[in-house]
Amino acid sequence: MSAVLGISAYYHDSAAALIVDGEVIAAVQEERLSRRKNDPGMPQRAAEACLRQAGLEAQDLDRIVFYENPFGRLERVVLSSLRAFPRSWRHFPAALQSQIGSKIWVLDGIAGALGVPRGKITTVGHHESHAASAFFPSPFEEAAILTVDGMGEDESTAIWHGADTDLRCLASIPYPHSIGLLYAAITAFLGFEVNEGEYKVMGLAAFGKPSFQNEFRTLLQLQADGAFELNTQYFAFHTDINIAFSPRLERLLGPPRRRGKAWDLTGDETDQRYADIAASLQWITEEALLGLAREARRRTGSPNLCLAGGVALNCVANARLLRESGFSRIFVQPAAGDAGGALGAAMLGAIELDRERPARMTSAALGVPICNDAARALCGSLGLHWRYPGDILDEAADLVLRGKIGAFVRGRFEWGPRALGQRSIIASPADPGMRDRINQVVKKREPFRPFAPAVLSDRASDWFAEHDNDMTPFMTTTARVVERQAGDIGAVRHVDGTARVQTVTAQASSDFCGLLERMERNGAPPIVLNTSLNGAGEPIIGDEADALGFFMSHPVDFMVLGDILLEKGANPS
Amino acid sequence: MKKATTASAFASRIVTVGQLIGHFSTGRRIFMLPLLILILISSLLLVLAGGLSYVAPFVYAIV
Repeated sequence: MSAVLGISAYYHDSAAALIVDGEVIAAVQEERLSRRKNDPGMPQRAAEACLRQAGLEAQDLDRIVFYENPFGRLERVVLSSLRAFPRSWRHFPAALQSQIGSKIWVLDGIAGALGVPRGKITTVGHHESHAASAFFPSPFEEAAILTVDGMGEDESTAIWHGADTDLRCLASIPYPHSIGLLYAAITAFLGFEVNEGEYKVMGLAAFGKPSFQNEFRTLLQLQADGAFELNTQYFAFHTDINIAFSPRLERLLGPPRRRGKAWDLTGDETDQRYADIAASLQWITEEALLGLAREARRRTGSPNLCLAGGVALNCVANARLLRESGFSRIFVQPAAGDAGGALGAAMLGAIELDRERPARMTSAALGVPICNDAARALCGSLGLHWRYPGDILDEAADLVLRGKIGAFVRGRFEWGPRALGQRSIIASPADPGMRDRINQVVKKREPFRPFAPAVLSDRASDWFAEHDNDMTPFMTTTARVVERQAGDIGAVRHVDGTARVQTVTAQASSDFCGLLERMERNGAPPIVLNTSLNGAGEPIIGDEADALGFFMSHPVDFMVLGDILLEKGANPS
Repeated sequence: MKKATTASAFASRIVTVGQLIGHFSTGRRIFMLPLLILILISSLLLVLAGGLSYVAPFVYAIV
């Protein structure tokens, strides 16, 4: 058997994942430890945290697998620059400086940082890593796989078939034809930050109507066999590192939205137009994914589909795929974006050494745990008052029911961009005003951003339809709120009548499950509003020091930190 | 965690150069090998001449 470390790095969301004897021991995104949002650097802290969790040294590793081929990436950069010449001449120095100056030496950097022989480090393809990260942790023996990303070495999209320990690529679509880059370019057009604002565009889409369908058909031409072609005349990301779209796009869609301007979707016609553009983007994205999924089903005949790549984090599209693509079951692991490539790379390395498929993923709690002793010591040194209640989950449930906003910090932090009850802000889901309060006062973000509900898995049917699937445990899809119960959960029902629901079981998160059980025992629905525990522009909280820093600087009423409870009334705000 | 020595770091880079040449020597890529050498030289000149050094959002799309 073996110890294999997977690494993704140097573009965005760097991460490390460790598999020992076929079991995923740890998977950690660097940003949680470095405190730099979307940290793209060498994930040394994450790698060390994974090794600590397993009680191993770097020298004990049998193999380290990097999630893409740096030479394949260089080849694509050179070729695409030549194809786009002379428009590409301005970015050429920066592109080459980045490639030749650092990126092709990435494997040497890993060997140097971890102190391991260079010979232990191998690479796999970017989309192969994604496909592995989607299929091997899934509950399926065999499945069709779609990897849909900004780009890999050369491809942006691929259809795969996975069976037991094998992955086979059936078709691919080359760069620059990319749904991910289309989404990113329109994200920039709408005044949001690329690689960060895509979630906001997805939330904004629900406020608009897809009235720009013809324009988006011009931008992305869909074909009958699931393939698509991006009309590159409207974009500039392949020729310029500073701008995403060309003046031609502005002639097609109108002027872009100014970054940082406050949103008004209640009376401002201009902002309503931008919401319509977001809705149209969401529409064409879903249409493109549906075409790909139907082609994947036709080619594989499988009833199961796994998705990965940044586009697979579009939970609204995932829900539509489950309804309309013809697949019976769909699985999307929580870190479907580039961070997940580390997990896929580790799994490919482990399979090559062990000839066995690693264990399926049942929980996303794969990060670094809270240390109760360190938390108490830190509270002491900061002069904070804390209590050690007999049933801390019951007290937390009671505070939520009394309308308090809490931070819930227990166990190992989550793998992926979603807070799944280990590093969460929790509140009552009943009052719609709670959404505005948390958006404006705690998270300091756009007023249209929705919040997600977490619900006991075996009680979810009372409040949600279409929730019983393989994605809801990881919050990678949406479900419809049952209309007659909508009044119970006004704070977590989005404007389109859906919610990005998380179904919670004791197996996946015993503490969070315990909290929800106590909510129900106290006479309330077993549901909480659940949002990520982070301030504006910050990564989600990692350790106890981050958590206490958040508690002291944000207006939450209480915090469950490991086995202790802190309340604002007893402490300075 | 044990850090690599200067000698092992140099040896590691030699391995990478070998793999890079190997990658561009196979199949249809062989036509790119002279171009790669030209690019390595010209990129060195461009960097020394003060080429762009910042990283912008869409650097991901290009590099």
